[in-house]
Formats: sequence, C-alpha cells, structure tokens
Amino acid sequence: MKRYDLIVVGAGPAGLSAAIEAARCGMKVAVFDENAKPGGQLFKQIHKFFGSKEHQAKIRGYKIGETLLAEADEAGVEVFLNATVAGIYLDKEVLVQIGEAMTHFKADTIIISTGAAENMVTFDGWTLPGVIGAGAAQTMMNLHGIKPGQRVLMLGSGNVGLVVSFQLMQAGCEVVALVDAAPRIGGYGVHAAKIARCGVPFYLSHTITKADGTDCVTGVTIAEFDEHFAPIPGTQKHFDVDTICLAVGLSPMSQLLKMAGCTMVDDPKRGGQVPLVSENGETSIPGLFAAGDVSGIEEASSAMIGGRMSGLAAAAYLGFLSESDKEKRLADLEVALNSLHQGMFAPGSKGKTVAKTDEGIAVSQSLLKKGYLEDTDLERFVHRSNQTDKNSGIHPVIECTQNIPCNPCQDACTKGCIKVGKTITALPQIDDASSCTGCGMCIAACSGQAIFLVDEDYAPGFASITLPYEFLPLPQKGEQGTALSRSGQPLGIAEIIDVRNAKAFDHTPLVTIKVPAGQAMTARFYQPTTQAMEQ
Amino acid sequence: MSKHSDVIIIGGGIIGNATAYYLAKKGVSVTVLEASKDIGIGGSSRNGGGVRQSGRDTRELPLAMWGIKNLWPGLSEELGVDVEYTQKGNLRLGKTEAHQKILQGLTDKAVACGLDVRMINGDEIRAINPYLSDEVTCASWCPTDGHANPLTATLGYYKKARELGVRFITEAPCFELRKIKGAIRQVVTPDAIYEADKVLVAAGFDSRKILATVGIDVPMMPLKMECLVTEAEPPMFLQMLGTADADFYGHQSKHGSFVFGGSSGFEHLNKDNGTPISSSIGASCTCRGIIKYFPALVDAKIVRAWAGWLDDCADHVPVISPVEEVPGLYIACAFSGHGFGIAPAVGYNVAEMIADGHSTIDLSALRYDRFKPKQ
Amino acid sequence: MKSINDRSRNIGSFVSQLDDTIIICRCEEITKGEIRQAIHDGMFTVNEIRRYLRAGMGLCQGQTCGKLVKYLIARELGVIPDQLDPATSRSPMRPVEMKVLGNEEVTHV
Repeated sequence: MKRYDLIVVGAGPAGLSAAIEAARCGMKVAVFDENAKPGGQLFKQIHKFFGSKEHQAKIRGYKIGETLLAEADEAGVEVFLNATVAGIYLDKEVLVQIGEAMTHFKADTIIISTGAAENMVTFDGWTLPGVIGAGAAQTMMNLHGIKPGQRVLMLGSGNVGLVVSFQLMQAGCEVVALVDAAPRIGGYGVHAAKIARCGVPFYLSHTITKADGTDCVTGVTIAEFDEHFAPIPGTQKHFDVDTICLAVGLSPMSQLLKMAGCTMVDDPKRGGQVPLVSENGETSIPGLFAAGDVSGIEEASSAMIGGRMSGLAAAAYLGFLSESDKEKRLADLEVALNSLHQGMFAPGSKGKTVAKTDEGIAVSQSLLKKGYLEDTDLERFVHRSNQTDKNSGIHPVIECTQNIPCNPCQDACTKGCIKVGKTITALPQIDDASSCTGCGMCIAACSGQAIFLVDEDYAPGFASITLPYEFLPLPQKGEQGTALSRSGQPLGIAEIIDVRNAKAFDHTPLVTIKVPAGQAMTARFYQPTTQAMEQ
Repeated sequence: MSKHSDVIIIGGGIIGNATAYYLAKKGVSVTVLEASKDIGIGGSSRNGGGVRQSGRDTRELPLAMWGIKNLWPGLSEELGVDVEYTQKGNLRLGKTEAHQKILQGLTDKAVACGLDVRMINGDEIRAINPYLSDEVTCASWCPTDGHANPLTATLGYYKKARELGVRFITEAPCFELRKIKGAIRQVVTPDAIYEADKVLVAAGFDSRKILATVGIDVPMMPLKMECLVTEAEPPMFLQMLGTADADFYGHQSKHGSFVFGGSSGFEHLNKDNGTPISSSIGASCTCRGIIKYFPALVDAKIVRAWAGWLDDCADHVPVISPVEEVPGLYIACAFSGHGFGIAPAVGYNVAEMIADGHSTIDLSALRYDRFKPKQ
Repeated sequence: MKSINDRSRNIGSFVSQLDDTIIICRCEEITKGEIRQAIHDGMFTVNEIRRYLRAGMGLCQGQTCGKLVKYLIARELGVIPDQLDPATSRSPMRPVEMKVLGNEEVTHV
C-alpha cells in the first residue's frame, strides 16, 4: 500500500495551497488531479485579481498558478497529473486511476479540494451545440486559444459572467448582450462598467426563452418576466448569435465527501450540497478536510487562504505543527480571510440590497441596473475634495464606488496620492496634499480598471484622459478614433496622444486620448475607427 | 390523518410494496412504513435483477416457478410501468470439474421438482451466447429463466399500490412493535404510533431488531455485496448469467448497460460506516472476473458501482411466515440475496396469507420456527 | 412528520406544460414532462426519479441534471429544494474501462 501523511484531491488554488503548507511542516504529501495541467481554474484567469497586496491582488490568475506550482515543487509536494480519483473508501483510502491502471493509496489525513462545476439552466434549445458554460468558454479561449464563437450572448451578471464577457471581447468576439434574471447586476460594478463602456447592453429581469437553430445555435430570444417567472408578452428581443454562454453559478463537486460519509448540508448560500466543516475545513470525519469551492462557492483568493488553513490544520492533527503555532498561524490567515469577507459582496450579503456604502454614500442605481455610473452619480463619490477643480493639472479619477475587498491602488502610487486605509473594502480616497505625476501605476494596478488619469488643461479647449486598454491591436500615437462614454455611446473624435506599455503595467497598456475639454469627465473608452466602421 | 389501517407493512422494498399492492387489490387498507427517505433503497434496488428458478433451494423453488408462470409475464401491463421482464434463459457457467459437480447437483435437484433445466457443454453454451470465452466448459441451462429491472419493478409496485390508496410514509423507522392484550397492535416510530390489526415485517436485515421487540428472532446477518454498471453498449445477449464459482452474475439491461454483481472473497468480513459503502477492491475484482468470461467487454466503461446489504439467513432461504406466538404478526425477510425474482410471488402469497389465512403456494417450509439447535 | 414523507399528500393532478418537451437529463434524454409525470406517480426524491426514469444515471452521473431534477421536484411538491437530498454519490467518479478498473496493484487488503 502506498502511504502518505496527506493526500490532497484536486490541484487547484485550494489544494495546492494546502499541500504547500503541509509539506512545509514536514509532511509527505501527494496531490492528485484528473487534469493534464495543475492549477485548477487559475490558468484560465488572465485578469488581475482583487484583494489585498499581501494576498496576490493585482496579480493575474495564471501567474498565481505558476507561483503556487513553484512553491509546491520547492516544498517537496508530489503532484500526480492525469490522476483521477475513482473513489474514497474506509480508512482514508483512495483508488486512483493513473494511466491504464488503478493504484491504492492511504493517508492519515485527506484534503478534498475538488472545486465546483458549472450550473445549467434549461430553455427551449439549451442542448444545442453553441450553448456552453462560461467556464468552458474561458477554457477554450485562455487555455486552448480557440474563439468560442463570433457573436455571443451571456446569461448571468455575476463576476464570472462579467469577467468572461470582457475576455470574450478581448478574444475578438462580439458580446451582443448580458442577460440576468435578477433585477440587479450580481457582480462587481467595476467589472460591469468595463463591459458597459464597450457598448454592451444589460437586460435585467430577463431570461432566455428560446435558442434558435437545428444543428447549432443561430439565434436567441430573451424576454422580461413577471413575478411568476412567466415571460411578459411584447418584451421579447431576438439576437443573431452563434454562442450562448451560461454563467449561472457553480455547484460544489462534493461527491467524494458524501461518498466518504461526511455529514453534508444543503446550503444555497454556499452553492448546494457541502460538507459540514469547522473554520479550518475539518469535516465530521476526523482527519478529513475540505477546502476551496467544494466546501462553499467563493473565489480563488479565499480558496487559497482556506487551503492554507486546512493544510496547517492537517499538519497539527498529525503533530507536524504544535497547537500553539497552529493557532498563531491560523489567526493570521483568519484575519486575511475575514478581510475578503467584508463589504457589499461578502458571502453573508448575498441577495441583500445595499442602499449605501460603508461611507454612507447612496450607491449608484444606474451601476446596478445598467452597468455604468451616471454622470450625476460621480458627484457623490468625491474621492478628491477638489476633483472638479479645473486648475489642478493631471490627476487620478477613481470610479470605484462599491465596498469591495481590494487595495493595490494604495501602494501603486509612490507619491501617496491614494489612500484606502486599514479596511480594505473602504473606497479609495485621493490625498490633495500629494501631487500626481501621471505615471499611470494606479491605472495598471486597478484590477477593476476603474482609475483614469484626467488632465482638463491638456491644451486649450482639450482634455487628456489616460485609460487602461487591454485590447489588440494597440492604437498608435496620432491615430484618430471615437471617444465612448461610460455607457458606450460615441461622443466624438478622440486622438491618441500617448500609448504606454511598461513592464510594470503587467500587460495593461495605458492609452491617452485627447478629447474636447467638456468630455473630460464623460469620455471613458476609445474605439478605433476600423472597429466603428465594421459595425 | 388516521393512524389506523387494517395492515401495516414495515419496509418499503419490493416485498413490502408488492404485498401492499396485492392486499389493496383485495380491498384491505394498508400503510407502508419505510425507515429511509427513499422507497426501495435497500436490496430491492441493489441486486442483479435475476428472475430465475435454476440454482434455487427446493423450498423456495415452487414460489419461483409459480411467479414466472403466473405473474412476471403480465407485470408491466398490470403495473403500468415497464419492468423490462425478459425470459431468455439462465446460464450458470463453469470452468472446472469442481464447477461441473456443483452445477450438476443443483440441476438434479431442480429437475426433481419439475423444472426444465439441463447441463450443456462448451459448444452448446457458445451457440447460445457467442461472447463467452473458451475457458467456459460447462453450464446449467434453464430456458424459462430471465431477468427484469429491479428499480422499475420495485417502484412500479409502489406507484400502483399508491394509486390504489395504500399510504406510504418515509423516514418512519420502526422502533418497536407493541402488543395489546396479547395481539400485535402498534408500530412505534419517532413521529407517531401507528395501529393495525395485522403487521407484516418486511424490512430486510433490520427485521431482526424489529422482531426482537416482541421476542421473535430470525437468525440472519447483514452481508454487504457489490455491483457495478457499464455505460450503454450495443445489444449483445439476453440471458441471465451466473457462475458456479460465484465470481459474478448479471445481465445486459434493456437500456444497454450491463449490470453485474461479483465478489472479492471477503464479503462475510466486509465492514462499513453505517451506510453500504463500496469497498476499495470489490469493483476491480468483479471486472477481472467478468473479463475472464467476456473478453469482448474489456473496453466497456463502468459508470458506477454500488454496494448493498443482503439479509443472509442461517440456511440462505427466506422466512415467509405467520407468527402464531404473536397473533397478527407476519414475517417476510431473510431473502439471502435472491428475493427479487420471487418478490411478485411472495407479495401475492403473503397478501393471501394475511387477508385469507392461506396461500396458493404452500409456504410451510419457510416458517420462522424452522431453525433448530444441534441435537 | 415532514410533508414530503407522506406519499399520499395531494399535489394536484398532472397538468402538462408548454415546455414539458425540454430535455433535462442530456445523457439519458429524459424530458421535463417525464420527470413531472414521475413526481405525480409518487417519485418524491431525486433517488427515486433516478431509478424510475434513469435521469442522472448516464455518463455524467447527474453532474449536470442533478440540481435541475431537484428543483423540479421541489417546485412540483411545493417545498424548498434544501429539503431534498441529492442522489447518492458513487464510485467511480469518472467512467473507467473494465480493463483499467480491473488492472489494480494490490499488495494486501
């Protein structure tokens, strides 16, 4: 019998983090993953993560994956790939398919970190080729370099739906609409704003009534529905699309835990059937832990912290870590985890309507309903006392209006212009006393792409706006295109006056456009002329 | 909600459901109490689906023969559910002389009871089932045997009984049977006390602890066995299969999947965690067993495996009996892993026993008081 | 006693719906209408639907339709979905060829 101190099932962010912590405590650790590549969903995440600077914020997901793999390797973790765990049995035994054979392994502790699977919704035509999960679309684009389709409708406005919609556009797909049954956008407003300013419309309280096509999707019909979930006649809208993406939530893949005999609970807030666990992920079976999405749907940052906590708990369970050291280290991680669990999108706030920010400012209803801030909204979110002072030269404008756990902007500014403070969900504030040099580090550091550098006095009658532009081809200096508003409406001609792509920006090029001075606080995106002509 | 009915049946498996159905047909009011959340979650849905007479003990053979003649052929129509009954024979396979001896012994006994069963050689076997390997040299062949779908048969009886007004209560485990003035009367569950004139205990191996509350014992033990199912394959053969060595048994279902049971040799020592959890070695052992008989199935994919407890009786034959010591009490349990095929006949005859005081088939050889100590 | 445990409770008669032809279990091609009818036949749990219709018994073992079936039952019975257990989890977690499953290295049990 092959034996380990710890067996981890699933080499995603939670599993790898757990394995690293345990191995660093001196444990002999094996990680099994059914995929050919480790990292779980991390390598599909090409966007910059939110969170605190100490916990990988502003780092792109795939980079975090690379770091975790290097750390696992250094710690002596054995990672078995293409290794499918067929079942978990009594006495902490797993049967693993590796190649054309089955191998039995036993361990004194097991951590299950098998992640989650995408939910589906049914409508007429949902089984047609071309109806795919948003995660599947991400896999196609970001792992295999294949465009899922040309014209896409996205169902689901949670962060997955928003992030994948943006990535679809980055890959060159046209996103025709974002649809959600909920009356409000579910994900971060900054993610929605990135899509809205590209001109993508949001249809809330809508659902798909039909996918057209005989052999594959050729179109889709959506409709607004009433309180009985019946479509309201006359509200139908049709789109010609070849792809329908479903981002309607995830369900924990907790089957192994159920098979092992763990006490399970059905918790809609955590995505479905999950094991009953302690704060360190220990299940009702001593020595058996669950970490990451399998014990409740969250996101990669909390999965990594949760994984580390269960890795330490497993180490302490087998005496590889003293109880006092365990308590101390877990306490630190708990602080980090709690900070991610604050704000408007905290797991406990799911489904609740938040009327005001922690600072007491009324939240933008336009952002929740349409995906963008109205010009009038911005006046409430005065991050800078004299933001509208036209004589102050170049300065950052931060359109971050919801309490989300994220603070990299604070450290990005070497001049100390931006302050978030100790509570990482606080809205960033601009310090008047410090002077902006226009370096652009704050723009590149903002995972939500919500920071702009504005100079109302760029030239007589003209303002300059520097914005993040993660699209190809990059515009050239001197080129003329169209300035777009927050809602993606054309405002007029914009001229590219600068394009910067420093290594420190980590693949977030900064584009500076020249627009009439009156558009300084309304123009927020740039559309090349060729693209405008194609449409 | 009335807590009283003419008959209470403890156990919502195929025996309980079938008996409930045949009692309801006679106009008897019945309540079925099922301990778990699901109807038919025990051995009823955890078996190989055999509907056979060959290989059976002569004490239960009359039930098997009567059921195959009178109930199984029309069951799908009667219940309004496709029970997938297929009567294309049973091959009990052997590879060695020892196997031949075992099979010959079973065959001789069955022939004496009037069953059409005979020994055949390797060529005859492969004429019936060309997929069997050359290792198979002998078999007993009973052309009137067959198989059915245990899941739809169990739930079909439930559906039909429910339509006829039988009350089914799930999550109602029986803690205790209670007599009133010397006769059975009450069934105590966590939520309620149910009352009836007659009570049938058909709760698999749980029957033992239930019967103990009125001082009755059936010598049986739970025995965990394992099965597996393949993905749907093109139609290959229709016979029910077993082996003299008991390496495996099973059939190809109407859906196309193969359902096979097997053994690792440690069944009598199997442990569990309170649920019938699969062992880490069972499915693999069964696969190796099957491949030796059916080389063509090497690439068939296993989609799931399961384990279940059978109620293994001291003499491996069921107890189907009134209990005169506790007036009003009846027992139908200890089917020892071969109850499914005779379930319709058991349900029919137990319903007669309860409602009419006598049954079509003489069940006296299956009485509860047949177990005697060494003299 | 929980209301779902009384299998005789009145859930009304089966009324066909416009979208009853939608497939819920893709592996076994089971429709919404078939599942709703099965509920009216008395199949009140995910396990019972699975055994009665094969919904969730195919290659994906209910990974896709498990939740959908559960919500259909909950809606038809008028209960909240958390009252219903998902189907039993069974090994192997992924389909595996017989020759592979049988090819194990066993030193001792």
